[in-house]
Amino acid sequence: MSGSGARSTSAVPHLGIGLPYFASLPAELYQSGSIDFVEITPETICRQRPTGTAIELEIVPQQMEIARRACAGLPMVVHGVELSIGSAHGWNTAYLEMLDAFREAWPFIWHSEHLGFQTFLGTDGSTQEVGVPLPLPPTIESADLVARRSAMILQRYGVPFLLENPAYYLPDPPSDPEIGDDIGLMRRILQRSGSLQLLDLHNVYCNAVNHHFDPFEAVDRMPLNAVAEIHVAGGSWDDGFWMDAHDGRVPEPVWDLLEYTLPQCPFVGGIVFEMLDEHVPKLGVDAIQQELTRARKIWMGRGQGDSYGATRLSDFTRPVSTSL
Amino acid sequence: MALLDFQTSLARLVRASKGSDPLRPASLTTNERGYLSHLTEDPAFRFTVKVQRSWCAGRAAKAAYLTLSILPGEVRDQLLEEWVSSGGGTHSFVGRESAAFLEFIGSHLVEPSHELTICRMELAALRSSEGSLRFRRPDLSRIDRQACFIRRGRYAGLVHFYGEPERILNALLRREEYPTISSEITRLIFGPGFDRLYTRATSNELALYDRLASPAATITLSGEGFARETIQRLLNAGVIEYAG
Repeated sequence: MSGSGARSTSAVPHLGIGLPYFASLPAELYQSGSIDFVEITPETICRQRPTGTAIELEIVPQQMEIARRACAGLPMVVHGVELSIGSAHGWNTAYLEMLDAFREAWPFIWHSEHLGFQTFLGTDGSTQEVGVPLPLPPTIESADLVARRSAMILQRYGVPFLLENPAYYLPDPPSDPEIGDDIGLMRRILQRSGSLQLLDLHNVYCNAVNHHFDPFEAVDRMPLNAVAEIHVAGGSWDDGFWMDAHDGRVPEPVWDLLEYTLPQCPFVGGIVFEMLDEHVPKLGVDAIQQELTRARKIWMGRGQGDSYGATRLSDFTRPVSTSL
Repeated sequence: MALLDFQTSLARLVRASKGSDPLRPASLTTNERGYLSHLTEDPAFRFTVKVQRSWCAGRAAKAAYLTLSILPGEVRDQLLEEWVSSGGGTHSFVGRESAAFLEFIGSHLVEPSHELTICRMELAALRSSEGSLRFRRPDLSRIDRQACFIRRGRYAGLVHFYGEPERILNALLRREEYPTISSEITRLIFGPGFDRLYTRATSNELALYDRLASPAATITLSGEGFARETIQRLLNAGVIEYAG
């Protein structure tokens, strides 16, 4: 199987400013004109259903209907959390089967997942959940595993597939010299799969603070031509670490990073202000609007037209065989 | 480098299962073994474990929200701590976590107590609610067939309230002192086919539910004096179901 389908679907429209869908937010906010597109985590409108020894993910129709009504007319992208694309023992096929049904009901422009793993093989051979996502070691084996799976996903859905750079607290794991670090890992995966990057600038900031490096230098080493979406978010201090908590407003250094990075990402389709559902009431609608307004100001000043980046994106990406 | 072994060892270290040696079964390179061996001394690793436990405790707290909300703070914290230490709280979906955690909590509560009643009620409501998503009313004509066996419903439950349920629940909602444990027991029966998932059990319904601790043939039940109407009503509500 070749990756030609992936190349032809790498068009990323310039959408603008996005917000995750939260059932707890008033639907009026999504229709207020301050949001150009919505980002949905399908798992939030799903439930698990045991079927024999397996677990199925099924969409709750009523919850999807409420979400669709709230986001009526807005372009929609998907941001998944349950795929565990880097698990060596196997990824979450139930998630993909759910996503098949989701796409049938509500087509998305692009979709994304986190580069990492959150399941492992138990002593009895069953799939166990870690309880928190963990980063992949920057090795050829990791890169090739995720590249193969990403290419398969591109074939399966026919729309751009993005991988998000994770926040992590663990010290750097053993690496292969050809890969080097997490940036090298992302670069190799994108080059070999045809997938794109969801650049989470709060994660970059978080890692820079906790691992004592310069986030601007890190951005300079990233494959910015392959960035299709940017996340900004808030965090907080805990026990001497800056946590990727998504619990508040975007810190000034992350806005600085956005101003620095955005003009260097010629094909980015949008910026999303991320929060966790449980922190939405504390933050409030006014503060959310203010963050969206600030993001829009930077977006409008990025100094680029509205042309799609399909051609040059395909120059960057070089999909590989999707056979496992 | 064997990614599978590295991930398994790292995940086991983070989950810190009691009594297990995360590195024992793995075929790791010297580099990997060295990294993982020294990891537990690193503050960044300890922080990762703290985040993991916090996420797990948060999920578990949502999974048994009602029951935990009525327990004293120190009891609640201890139960969450024990549950997370035993590997609980890792499931991303609350429903999958709820039943197991509520069973765990129930095993630590005094019988009889209003706390245990609320715990069992939350569990029964959860199961009936899950069952209601796919519940179809059964064909009642099967009752008359030869060798028709029935049993307790998979999504049914019976909860004993040691006092008037409304008074106990109101005390819970208003955070008032509970009524004393009463010898006057009210029994609520839960089934996926009830409009509100439960109803007060009549003595006939209760007798039938008790009788079906093991499956029985309808013809046998008729012979024992159980009314056809009672059997039909509980079948229709999913409190009991056809066996096979």
